[in-house]
Amino acid sequence: MMNFHEDPSAPESIVRRDFLRRLSAAGAAALASGAPRLLANGSLGEIEHPRPKADACILLWMAGGMAAPDTFDPKRYHPFEKGLPVKEMLSTFPAIDTAVDDIKICQGLENIASVMDRGTLIRSHVQPDLGSILHSRHQYQWHTGYVPPQTVAAPHIGAWMARVLGAPNEVMPAFINIGQRLEGIGESEELKAFTTAGFFGSEFGPMNLPYPDQAAVSVRPPKGMESQRFANRNRLFRKLVDASPDRDRMSDYQQESMLRSMDAAYRLLSSKDREAFDITLEPKESFEKYDTGRFGQGCLLARRLVESGARFVEVTTEYVPFLHWDTHNDGHTTTTRMHQEIDRPIAQLIRDLEDRKLLDRTLVIVASEFSRDALMEGKPGSNANDQAREKVDALGEMKHYGLHRHFTGGSSVLMFGGGIKKGQLYGSTSPERPLVAIENPVSIEDLHATIMTAMGISPRMGYEIEGRPFYVTEDGNGRSVDALFA
Amino acid sequence: MTRLFARAFLAVSLSALIPASLFAEEKSHELDFAHDVVPILKRNCVHCHGGREEEGGFSFNNRELVFDSGHVDLDEPNDSYLLELVTSDDPDTQMPPADRPRMGADEIETLRRWIAGGLKWDADFTFAIRTYEPPLRPRVPELPISRNGRDHPIDRILDEYSIQRDLPIPSGVDDATFLRRVSLDLIGLLPSESQLSAFLADDDPLKRERLVDELLNDSVAYADHWLTFFNDLLRNDYSGTGFITNGRKQISGWLYESLVVNKPFDEMTRELIAPPTQESQGYIDGIKWRGEVSAGQTLPIQFSQSISQSFLGINMKCASCHDSFVDRWTLKEAYGLAAIYADESLELHRCDKPIGETAEAAWLFPELGQVDPVAPREERLQQLAELMTHRENGRFARTIVNRLWYRMMGRGIVHPLDAMQTEPWSEDLLDHLATDLVANGFDLKATLRNIATSAAYQSQSEVVGEETGQEDYVYRGPRARRMTAEQFLDSVWTLTGNAPKKVEAPIPRHEYTPGSTQPVIASGDWIWGPLENGSVPAGQSIVLRKQLTLAKDAVGGAAVLTCDNQYQLYVNRKLVSSGDDWKQPQSVSLVSHMTEGTNTIDVIATNDNGKPNPAGFFLEGWVVFADGSQVTFQSDDSWTYCSDVVAARGGVIDTTNDDWYPVTVVPGLPVWREVVDQKVRPLLQQPRNAVDGPVMVRASLLKNTALMKSLGRPMREQIVSMRPDTITTLEAIDLANEPTLSKSFAAGAERLIASTGGDPDTIIRSMFRSALARDPSSDEHRLMMEMLGQSPDRLAVQDAMWAVCMLPEFMLVR
Repeated sequence: MMNFHEDPSAPESIVRRDFLRRLSAAGAAALASGAPRLLANGSLGEIEHPRPKADACILLWMAGGMAAPDTFDPKRYHPFEKGLPVKEMLSTFPAIDTAVDDIKICQGLENIASVMDRGTLIRSHVQPDLGSILHSRHQYQWHTGYVPPQTVAAPHIGAWMARVLGAPNEVMPAFINIGQRLEGIGESEELKAFTTAGFFGSEFGPMNLPYPDQAAVSVRPPKGMESQRFANRNRLFRKLVDASPDRDRMSDYQQESMLRSMDAAYRLLSSKDREAFDITLEPKESFEKYDTGRFGQGCLLARRLVESGARFVEVTTEYVPFLHWDTHNDGHTTTTRMHQEIDRPIAQLIRDLEDRKLLDRTLVIVASEFSRDALMEGKPGSNANDQAREKVDALGEMKHYGLHRHFTGGSSVLMFGGGIKKGQLYGSTSPERPLVAIENPVSIEDLHATIMTAMGISPRMGYEIEGRPFYVTEDGNGRSVDALFA
Repeated sequence: MTRLFARAFLAVSLSALIPASLFAEEKSHELDFAHDVVPILKRNCVHCHGGREEEGGFSFNNRELVFDSGHVDLDEPNDSYLLELVTSDDPDTQMPPADRPRMGADEIETLRRWIAGGLKWDADFTFAIRTYEPPLRPRVPELPISRNGRDHPIDRILDEYSIQRDLPIPSGVDDATFLRRVSLDLIGLLPSESQLSAFLADDDPLKRERLVDELLNDSVAYADHWLTFFNDLLRNDYSGTGFITNGRKQISGWLYESLVVNKPFDEMTRELIAPPTQESQGYIDGIKWRGEVSAGQTLPIQFSQSISQSFLGINMKCASCHDSFVDRWTLKEAYGLAAIYADESLELHRCDKPIGETAEAAWLFPELGQVDPVAPREERLQQLAELMTHRENGRFARTIVNRLWYRMMGRGIVHPLDAMQTEPWSEDLLDHLATDLVANGFDLKATLRNIATSAAYQSQSEVVGEETGQEDYVYRGPRARRMTAEQFLDSVWTLTGNAPKKVEAPIPRHEYTPGSTQPVIASGDWIWGPLENGSVPAGQSIVLRKQLTLAKDAVGGAAVLTCDNQYQLYVNRKLVSSGDDWKQPQSVSLVSHMTEGTNTIDVIATNDNGKPNPAGFFLEGWVVFADGSQVTFQSDDSWTYCSDVVAARGGVIDTTNDDWYPVTVVPGLPVWREVVDQKVRPLLQQPRNAVDGPVMVRASLLKNTALMKSLGRPMREQIVSMRPDTITTLEAIDLANEPTLSKSFAAGAERLIASTGGDPDTIIRSMFRSALARDPSSDEHRLMMEMLGQSPDRLAVQDAMWAVCMLPEFMLVR
């Protein structure tokens, strides 16, 4: 520590030298380590972070491509009918009223319809056509803002929030990922590629909780170790550290940061906050409102975590090739089930957050990597392969009934809380095929910019890694869609 | 923020002590060059008049250039040409040019005040790009005189370095510290207790050199360890992105063999750049994603980036999108390398947009020769391979020795490692290592030996308060290295005997194990006591016994065994192993438990089932003698059983009972045969060395797991030459409660109790010696005793072992 009395200008000059080094172009090549460096003054000019409108963010991920015409963007409805030409099939569910006069959504989503006045429905979210549809690749882009491959490992948006903001409650992991198994399923390696903090390093990476009902185990002492034993074990560890004959090492930065992390882990594992992870502690009545399966339980877990001071929580319906939203045949039947799985828990989450006065400061997003269509693969002009499993021109049996092709020209996104306008419909898609966005298109980078703006992060903020400025939205180009905010 | 805080702090704490004049800045807001002027210049001017750019011959790179240009008039600031340009309305002369935004009035006012204030400039600030250009050719440095008998070339260079800078010469480490450090650094394994005792007792003055040689000669352990380094460097892995669509190929088998035989690094590199067979093809082919990718990530561009980074430590990533802003590489150079690889003509793209120019195959240093752009692709790759590994390409040799120095010494001579365009802190040291490598025919082990035998390597590691910048670094001794995920797990598995049993990498490891004995054939039967109606009663426990007479002491011996559905194995009354998952046969080392004469093997076998059903025990064992001969034994009708199971206490079985009867060979179930075929046979075929039974399966040979990822093993979609050097909270959570890790410590505790007879003092000493290569201090001993008590139970030992393995002293190599 500098002695100010002897040299009052010293601290100032040190700060200045450091600042200059960071500013200097020469500094770029002279980085001390390979670690990413905050761009103090990137080529985009001074960064000013917006005032945060939300303290937490919950992303409800409809993995596998949620068909907008069968969920939040109903088109002309045709019930199943043998011989119906597939080109007549736009929506396979009739539209229902919602709490907002000019918004109709699909039958099966009555609970979400009842909370539609709490948020904004975007019907004009568009994704780029990546030429060939690999879900995990589109998901990579949606979650990081960058199309793979990249020269450096791109961080997930949750990792950005963890890196820039940390968690409101310091013992809570800042980035929690619920419901996605990363082992033993198709494309799992591809999913791992973006379920990561990338170049930020694992400190800012996700805590993965694939099974919400077993989440508590992740923050418990090891199986079979009761709390007294856990405390004793830690006490011995601390005492051995203190008794180490090598005392000069106490100031070593590596040693210090190791001990800090061990301490933080112990604090979480022995704290009251870990109860947030235990959904069995939820009153039965409340638990049942959510319990439509793993996704529903995940929504409950997300609520509990946000209540305890988590920053970013993603809950997924889980991506498994050809399952859930990834309907390549029998789409109508599967979508009926998916409606049941998501409808109650999403609505309940919004209501619970509202009751707890948390909705205003919690941004909830429902999104998917793209939409689906009965006929069109990709978007007009795309050269993507047709991946429908049964290629028929007219409906022969029930399994032909549904939206079985990937469509990237327009999808729906729901946003609640965190300063988002209530009861708003934003953007629209064509009433007839191709069902592309025809008004107010919102790209991934602009949607991310909006999310980051709500969280108080400038979409132009960046870090430098391996000499490359890497921004929270691609090349710093994302622009917040101000019309989405109240 | 920090700066504001510093100011506020000063104002509050010192206002009473400091004369008011110091705060003049606050009152009149005197201009601050860094904060007020630099941003304006960056925003408006340096794009064309800074760094490499100097349009119209004018550059803002430093004060002299600005002053000498005549654009500013310090006497009559308002007459400065610079101000005329920025205020002009004439689209032909105004600055910034008409197609760029005008400067704001406040910005112009700041510039005016800056000029009027004498063009203040912070001393070492420049917009220029660092001009250091590393020499291409190798250079043999002249070695300084040797001092105090320290004759090793590395020491001659570093002693001179320290003396020049008035730095203390780091003092040496003791034998135990050296043993642990060098074992972990060279083969990635902790030394065993017996290795420690033997090394400490050895009074040969050359024992350290001998140890280095012994470690480097253990070619399988060496390959197991360095595989991690090369997998990171060549982004090779056994699972990961890209395999799903056949967009990626492994080079694992080729790489492992190259390491086992210590293939010269230049030869390895040539085989990677111009693959002679499919085996090493995966490296240059990168990762192909299905669908469209940006121009900066096509396979030829990935090739350009990968070879630049792996072999030259050059960052071609920036330059593959536009001329680099951070060093001298250009878009054209990036595409020149790419075109060597490309099958078809390659159009240059700047920031993903074509610029109507076709790339011509070329490499970066034509001084050494050039690739023929019209030659066929394979020939071009051959030419590149030759140029890259050219003996006159000093940059190639420097890059790899710098990486090895980092692994051994904790910090690069050029640092970070992939910034080889920047200045080393000791050119002599880097050049010495590089020319030495070339002189040794690119033998990497020779470089490792060179480093490991220096007094510098064998000296106290530096205590680092905080990481400093490259320009501030001075050498003060080696720095502690954090164990890699692989080193950590290997260490835990060494201590607990709980390594996984199966290699997952497609590597025929057993083929490379020298001195491995004849494979043992699985010929045992499934045995039990008498059956009742063809079944074993529910919950029945019996003791199975085999007596084995050895004519002499064994030097090796092990067994693979399993029991449907529970067993405890005792050798000469002591518990050696137990298992309750018959589908996972165990491989157990027996050598330390067997002696010359009669050995008794007892197995408590239990049919832990609610109803009568088939049960059986299977074992295949062998003992090896010093002359290489071996004896095998297996579960068969030569065994006896006793139905009176006397409870075993403290890991010792009571064998006073003498009612022994011949066992029954039970009919083998098809599921049992499957286990023998699929699990036992591979275990028997694994490489075994003479001492310890099967060679431990190392973490480097396994697919990446969530635990390893959390401990810092990268995903290897990109090249990674440096892993994180600190432990994160999520990692610490895993260390505290990850189930497989907990299971290892539980198994380790059981083993330790069995091998020590449960004596707490022996347990404590053994734990410290095997984990930390030292004895506990009296304080540490007391703390451990408090935890363990006089007759420690398994849980206490397990927790104590965990605590020792969490110590920074354990997790750091220092």
